[in-house]
Amino acid sequence: MNQTRSRRKFLRDLGVGALSLPFVLNLPSLGFANQAARKQRLVVIFSPNGVVPTAFWPDAAGADFKLKASLTPLEPFRERTLIVHGLCDKVRGDGDNHMRGMGCLLTGTELFPGNIQGGSHTPAGWSSGLSIDQEIKNYLQQNEATRTRFGSLEFGVMVPDRADTWTRMVYTGPNKPVAPIDDPYQMFNKLYGRAKDQGHLKSVLDDLQADFAKLETVVSAEDKQLLEDHAAFVREMELELAAPRDNELAHAEPQLDPGVKEENDNMPRLSKMQIDLMVNSFAADFARIATLQITNSVGGAKMRWLGIDEGHHELSHEPDSNESAQDKLTRINKWYCEQMAYLANRLAETPEPGGDGSLLDNTLIVWTNELGKGNSHTLDNIPFVMVGGGLDFKMGRALNLKNIPHNRLLLSFAHGFGHRIERFGNPDFCGGGPISELT
Amino acid sequence: MARSPNFRLLFALACVAGLLPGLSALGAEPTRGQLVYEQKCAKCHGRQGEGTADEHPEPLIGDKPVIDLTRVIEKTMPDGKPEECVGDEAKAVAEYIYDAFYSPVAQARNRPARVELSRLTVRQYRHATTDLLAGFRGNSKLGDERGLAGQYFKDRHFRDRKIERRDAVVKLKFGAGSSAEEISKDVEEYSARWQGSLLAPDTGEYEIIVRTENGMRLWLNDNERPLMDRWVKSGSDTEFRESIWLLGGRVYPLKLEFFKSKGEQTGSIELAWKRPHHTDETIATRFLSPQNNPELFLVTTPFPPDDRSVGYERGTSVSKAWDAATTDGAIQVAAFVGEHLSQLAGAKPGEADREKKCREFCRKFVERAFRHPLTDEQQALYINKQFERAPDAETAVKRVVLLTLKSPRFLYHEVDGAANNPYHVATRLSFGLWDSLPDDELLRAAAAGELATREQVTRQAQRMTTDLRARAKLGVFFEQWLRLDHLIDLSKDPEQFGKFTPEIISDLRTSLELLIDEVLTSSDADFRRLLTTDQFYVNARLAEFYGVTAADAGDVTYATVRFEPEARAGVLTHPYLMAGFSYTATSSPIHRGVFVARSVLGRALKSPPVAAAPLAPDLHPGLTTRDRIALQTQEELCQSCHRLINPLGFSFEHFDAVGRYRGEEKGKSIDAHGSYLTRTGETHEFNGAREMAEFLASSEEVHTALVEQMFHFLVKQPIRAYGPDISPKLTRSFVEQNFNLRQLTVDIMAASALPNVAAKP
Repeated sequence: MNQTRSRRKFLRDLGVGALSLPFVLNLPSLGFANQAARKQRLVVIFSPNGVVPTAFWPDAAGADFKLKASLTPLEPFRERTLIVHGLCDKVRGDGDNHMRGMGCLLTGTELFPGNIQGGSHTPAGWSSGLSIDQEIKNYLQQNEATRTRFGSLEFGVMVPDRADTWTRMVYTGPNKPVAPIDDPYQMFNKLYGRAKDQGHLKSVLDDLQADFAKLETVVSAEDKQLLEDHAAFVREMELELAAPRDNELAHAEPQLDPGVKEENDNMPRLSKMQIDLMVNSFAADFARIATLQITNSVGGAKMRWLGIDEGHHELSHEPDSNESAQDKLTRINKWYCEQMAYLANRLAETPEPGGDGSLLDNTLIVWTNELGKGNSHTLDNIPFVMVGGGLDFKMGRALNLKNIPHNRLLLSFAHGFGHRIERFGNPDFCGGGPISELT
Repeated sequence: MARSPNFRLLFALACVAGLLPGLSALGAEPTRGQLVYEQKCAKCHGRQGEGTADEHPEPLIGDKPVIDLTRVIEKTMPDGKPEECVGDEAKAVAEYIYDAFYSPVAQARNRPARVELSRLTVRQYRHATTDLLAGFRGNSKLGDERGLAGQYFKDRHFRDRKIERRDAVVKLKFGAGSSAEEISKDVEEYSARWQGSLLAPDTGEYEIIVRTENGMRLWLNDNERPLMDRWVKSGSDTEFRESIWLLGGRVYPLKLEFFKSKGEQTGSIELAWKRPHHTDETIATRFLSPQNNPELFLVTTPFPPDDRSVGYERGTSVSKAWDAATTDGAIQVAAFVGEHLSQLAGAKPGEADREKKCREFCRKFVERAFRHPLTDEQQALYINKQFERAPDAETAVKRVVLLTLKSPRFLYHEVDGAANNPYHVATRLSFGLWDSLPDDELLRAAAAGELATREQVTRQAQRMTTDLRARAKLGVFFEQWLRLDHLIDLSKDPEQFGKFTPEIISDLRTSLELLIDEVLTSSDADFRRLLTTDQFYVNARLAEFYGVTAADAGDVTYATVRFEPEARAGVLTHPYLMAGFSYTATSSPIHRGVFVARSVLGRALKSPPVAAAPLAPDLHPGLTTRDRIALQTQEELCQSCHRLINPLGFSFEHFDAVGRYRGEEKGKSIDAHGSYLTRTGETHEFNGAREMAEFLASSEEVHTALVEQMFHFLVKQPIRAYGPDISPKLTRSFVEQNFNLRQLTVDIMAASALPNVAAKP
């Protein structure tokens, strides 16, 4: 398990007395960025193909709502959950609804015309703007106090190995989609590779210095100086490697099960591994923003571990009258919801390093989808379910907004971080600004 | 009057060169300090401060500054009669002994030359790490054919192939009348694929550019992950760029795929690039090969530049930044080996003998890196111990890689002694000609004892000169010889030279590169041709700007033309150099003269004794450039160097600031008379650049200077360390072999890789 320690305890262990604390705390080199204001984090989880509305949306708005079948995994977090009905993706233009649902979900702006032909509508290309997670990441990275090593991390689970409008939801700018990393080992290397290499290096330094010493006796007296100068640098490096870095103090790297292949049937394990890595990187303050894209728009996961043999997308086209299909779709969405619940649980049990409470107290998890409903392909009533205390939204409620452009929710995310932009994506859908009912 | 920054750099370098040992032919007059020293001090201290057995045996060396030395002399010298040398006289003596033999700098200068322990230079490090891994993945070849292998399909999925052919360049508009007309006929969707290799001529950042209104993907030196993926057409952009850092003189696998989809009206594609020192251009045929090649591993870690204070890059100092860069480089190699272990070691995960194969891989890896078979002790430390202690084979391999690449046995030349053992000979050859590790053939020859005689070494060196790496290294030599690395900004006064665009500058550089390349790869490789040829390469743009006729020339196609043969001669008069050694509005005889004196004649020049801004032309509207320079440098203080510099530079006066021929300046006809006073005191006079170039091509001073500069560039050790005879011997043989530049490199390597072993008579 991770070791998390508060900054005060860390300083106490160093033997730094109370008198010197105010000075030491101003030193950025001691890490633990952004101590004064609380850390804030945002996670966006994506799952595809819409939901079964009757098994998803609570019947009544307000604090006294009942979780429907798809959302039952959130029961332990009911008081910290906010379910927002009535948000609509109003962005039109090129591309079919699956494409726009995905490419405009976090960007709130049109797709460029292009050569990707969907099942209907005109062909399209990539989004013409950046996504809200990257907007907020850029905002946080600009400020020394909120800057982190990566800023944001883009996780995926079973994202197909092809780049098109259906497989990308994060954009760093117009025509600049970001491929999520869906291989946990690759993500592990990104997060911890450097530390591992330095570990290897540390373990060979004694042997290296022994050989240096031997060679110094072989070279001529005139040449010896050069080798001695060099050996001194190697010794310096050894000292630097021996001094633990801030992040290593705060947490140990996680252990991954080895050899989990990227296959449909491994989805539950892959998802858990990715979520564990995400929680670890928050504890180490590697990033404040994360996305977790489970499959892709039109994703066809076959959830055989639930006893469902058909692909998700294929099932999602079945009419409402097909009760068996609707039951399966409900269970599929319940499984996605379980991933959110697992993340919420892990964050809740992990204390906030250097602060009070848990990681969940300072993290908002948003679970969303490219469509409102699979068999109608509607972009109205896009699911937005949130858990956690990251953005000072008033939680423990079901909200029933009436036909509000989802751009305004994206604005609310930015404002929740103190980034008070007036428009995001297509300005036509930003009227009214952030959604006041959330706070 | 603007001075471009490169000239400041040039002056700074000239300044450093002024301190160089033993090369200065100027300033022969003894100074006052020297006269006083010889009169009052030398009797006890020796003429060179070496001391005398009877009076004062200790040599006069130390690290006190001049001001302290002056005080010591005033108070104590001469012994017993300190009042005899005081004031200005004491100061003059102090300054003299400080510069002549006392100071640490003077001591270093006076020390006899020796082969110094050196680490790999940055260029050597990069090539060595690349070849270290290339040794496990197969050799790269450019092959004889040029262009790319093209395939064209009458559908979007690369199924219905209609055309297979070699394309000289990729620049194509599909549709009626195109060379690939049949694939677009009667269909809305079609595709094409080009495969082969790309030759990167220089080391540095390349921008690969693809222009298309359709979908495309491009892979370069990575067959898995595309450098560009624009399969999704999105928006109205039709030009796409991606940067990639490449090591020069290497070939990289390349694949480009294209498709046109139903909704798109037209189809077209062009493969272009912006290579270092150039503007955007279609990738020319000579950089393309239809040959498939393995991917190359490149260490992309930035390194601090090597010391070049003595005129060539060498590795005789280390710094913390350099050590840190070697650590980053080692980590990069270890990560790469970790990812590709199954391929490199030929062992799949879970295979029973995987550990054995990993050990075997490690043994080969360390042997290649160290350039010799391992002793039992080295095998135990570098391999066995790592495998015994690591939890698994993968970890062990990574540790072996890190330990090896951080080891002085990899990072230095001959750190275990400089004997003529065959592996040292192999290594001297490979680093001398390639800046890289010995190949399998050299290691085989070393093991078989076939590197023991001059003839055997010569044979190997001859084989090696045909390798791309040797060509690339020789190319870098001439880049430095022509000071191209100082000519960074050639832009000119837009009022006078508005048509001298960045594209013209880029084309000029190509023209110069083609000329050098042609001489170096031709069968005679005659150095004199570089200096005297009247054949120049032009494309259509250059032909128009310089007013020559070249029917065969296009944008990317260059043709050779006779170019003003009465006035122009060889690379020295190439417009790129003429424009480079000029101000923005006027020519600069001083920069041209300094270049000829230093580079071509190998003369050492001290920095100007006084800082002097060039006289502004508008303040002397009646003066020609020549007159103005003469006026500026007329003082005796300046003349000690400008007597040499100006007459060399004046002979280029027929070429203006963009290297165009001119008959007159400011209504006065050009005076291009010049002269040169040789080291032995003969005066040679010439009228114009062609006469000067012909003199230079026949001058022994030029031949010796070239031989010594080439020696230093290849071997990276002082030539004097190899004995007093080596320079005249190599020069003689250079002349006897009709100035063959490739043969010169072979002779230099044969003499330096196997010193003290004479050639059979």
